[in-house]
Amino acid sequence: MNKVLFLFLLVLLGSCSDSELIGMKQISHGAQIYKAQCANCHQDDGSGLAQLIPPLKHSDYLKNHSNELPCLIQNGLKGKITVNGSDYQLAMPAVNGLTKDELADVCLYVLQKFPETPIQLSEAELHSQVDTCFKAK
Amino acid sequence: MKKLIPILFISFVGLLSSCSDEHNLPIYGNRETKEVMVDGKTVIDTIYATVPDFTFVNQDSFVVTQETVKGKIYIADFFFASCPTICPIMKKQMIRVYEKYKGNSNVLLLSHTIDPEHDTIALLKDYATRLGSDGKQWMFLTGDREAIYDMAAQGYYATAMPDSTEPGGYVHSGGFILVDTQRRVRGIYNGTSEDEVTHLMKDMDILLKENE
Ligand code: HEC
Repeated sequence: MNKVLFLFLLVLLGSCSDSELIGMKQISHGAQIYKAQCANCHQDDGSGLAQLIPPLKHSDYLKNHSNELPCLIQNGLKGKITVNGSDYQLAMPAVNGLTKDELADVCLYVLQKFPETPIQLSEAELHSQVDTCFKAK
Repeated sequence: MKKLIPILFISFVGLLSSCSDEHNLPIYGNRETKEVMVDGKTVIDTIYATVPDFTFVNQDSFVVTQETVKGKIYIADFFFASCPTICPIMKKQMIRVYEKYKGNSNVLLLSHTIDPEHDTIALLKDYATRLGSDGKQWMFLTGDREAIYDMAAQGYYATAMPDSTEPGGYVHSGGFILVDTQRRVRGIYNGTSEDEVTHLMKDMDILLKENE
């Protein structure tokens, strides 16, 4: 009995640190994609550009729409929105050419890095959102 | 070591003088020479290339021409509002320049749209306001599409044209072009590079001193 429990614990531990490792890898991959695809507009530090391009850092919009992030990136965003009390209306073009994994990774990164408290989405949740956006396209 | 000291000293002096040296800025473009008579003697005069005359309209529907920039130094650049690539970075840098020279009546900033169909006067007005511009010192210009492209190429050594293979549909260079009070181009800087824009502001200070 003890042996079984021990084995079980070992597997649990192993899988735990494994998935954490994968998470780290995905996030650093996501950071590269952010730099290449988002930072010229939203800036490296997520501060945005004056009243023209909204900030991601501590954005209430991002917090309230975290579920829509994959589709927002995939389809772009048009129309007036309010972020932290200021309104923005320049259109964000769709970010083209990302693979599903790249899209998932950049979302992971953005949700880790910019909200006041990081927003955790489960793998499954994130991937189902990513799938929906790809289907819609 | 003894031998080294003079060498060190010399290179140090060299270093110092190169630091304090307020170098003259180059003058861009072809130049012609002309013989002119001064006090009965023939002398050679150099004629520098200048930015051609222009007529554009700004975000407040005011006409902007070479008269507007008369006696001032200015920076020209090219952008379009829906530009997905380098424009936001350039505008971040232009804000730095604007903040530094705000209120200095000898300095103007002229941002030209290269997508006049999309970037209407109303849109430019909104764009300017959102960037924090007062619309007087930092102006956003539009006009005849061909006139803007010609101005970019001939006046400012810059590229601006439609290109369907580029994101956003246009190719344009990210340069900030520095023009002196006599409408001569004195420097071209990469407007996406923080370091080059710092350099630009140093050169603007040199030009402003030239005119004192
Ligand atoms: C061409 C510039 C540009 C690029 C590139 C860009 N965005 Fe945006 N983004 C915008 C603009 C402009 C808006 C505001 C859209 C509106 O007002 O409807 C926006 C809005 C957003 C928002 C919602 C508002 C907020 O600040 O929370 C998020 C989230 C976002 N972008 C994330 C991203 C991510 C992630 C990427 C890269 C994968 C990216 N954007 C690439 C310009 C851009």
